[in-house]
Amino acid sequence: MNRFSAVALLMLFAASPAQAQFNINRLLDAAKNVGKATGEIGEKEEIDIGREMAARLLGAAPLMANDAVQRYVNNVGRWLASQTERADLPWQFGVLQAPQLNAFATPGGNIFITRGLLERMRNEAELAGVLAHEIAHVLRKHHLQAIQKGARMELAGAALSTLARQDRNTPSREKLLAAGSELYYRGLDKSDELEADRLGVVIAARGGYDAYGLPSVLQTLQAMNPEDSGVALMFKTHPAPGERLSALETMQPTLDAYAGQPQLADRFAGAARR
Amino acid sequence: MRIATLLLLLAPALCLAEPASVIRATVMKQQPASDAPATGQLAENAKVDALERKGGWTRVKAEGGAEGWVRMLALRYAGAGDAKQGDSGIAQMLNVARSGTSGTQVATGVRGLDAEQLANARPNAAELRRMDGYAASKDGAGGFAAQGGLNAQRVDYPKAGG
Repeated sequence: MNRFSAVALLMLFAASPAQAQFNINRLLDAAKNVGKATGEIGEKEEIDIGREMAARLLGAAPLMANDAVQRYVNNVGRWLASQTERADLPWQFGVLQAPQLNAFATPGGNIFITRGLLERMRNEAELAGVLAHEIAHVLRKHHLQAIQKGARMELAGAALSTLARQDRNTPSREKLLAAGSELYYRGLDKSDELEADRLGVVIAARGGYDAYGLPSVLQTLQAMNPEDSGVALMFKTHPAPGERLSALETMQPTLDAYAGQPQLADRFAGAARR
Repeated sequence: MRIATLLLLLAPALCLAEPASVIRATVMKQQPASDAPATGQLAENAKVDALERKGGWTRVKAEGGAEGWVRMLALRYAGAGDAKQGDSGIAQMLNVARSGTSGTQVATGVRGLDAEQLANARPNAAELRRMDGYAASKDGAGGFAAQGGLNAQRVDYPKAGG
């Protein structure tokens, strides 16, 4: 990442109403460091950026008002994340109060699932499969890399002109703000989604769940009408469920080796259906 | 009235037979295992009714009436071009939140999570703090897993690209 794109990336998150923690000068210093360094964003910055993106998602849909469900999903997710190479990130999970079927991850370990998707699930292994897919996006930094790429390609110029004026209330600020959320309605690369499916199967199996949880959610989605307003956005931002199921055939040995593990349908029904 | 109630009670069971098709020529098995004896042969794109899933296998009923187990990954529900189930009703629900007859959208906050809402979202720091409060600790989640009888396994990631 060159210096311009580093500046653009950091401006993206600097120009938010939650500015307290994002001092412009500190960010400029960080941008210089990032520009000089390997092109990697440090874990601290990753977490800051991810929290900023999480706050914005929560601005689009609040958390479902049910403490027990939120805690339940956090337990399942934290257990899965503990089975990975980034077990010590500040992982947290939230159920969004939205009827659509979707799930999201932001850098640093913030994972969301919509109430609409949760309600279509039949057991804890299915929930684990979806959360594990999102955890994989965080492990492999898919969003962070997409933002870096976008910043490099589109935002460098806009960010610099904003910087030159030091004006936080210009139209370009709005443009920068919007770009962070764009990933959630434009989607990641197909290869990132298919990789997250493969890793998700592994992570769910590591957690001791029936490895077929994720494929069985994909089958639920595949049976739905793509025109259905509940899945329109998710279908637009992901490969078709049928294609994802076909791609998972390479995981058949892992899937079958851990197919007999618990699904925990009763615990799920008790916790998630309240 | 009594018949209507009975039909309602039966409805969930009837839903289990879902129209599907197989993506390739497939042997139906007597049990959900690859070394089980065959009960029949399905041609590519053959239509079946999917009855139940067990691990990586789904029990299906072929058009001729024969039953057997096939790989769930080889099944697709209501293949392309077939009539799929209708809308989940979310659109209708959301229309309530649109103003007037023009369908102009208003920011009522109950429309759910669509592209427009994501694009226009403002950060909600208070909700993020609420989310912080629900986070589980590593140890807490470990206890939760043990309660459910979950045992951690060592499983390798697939090689890149595979």
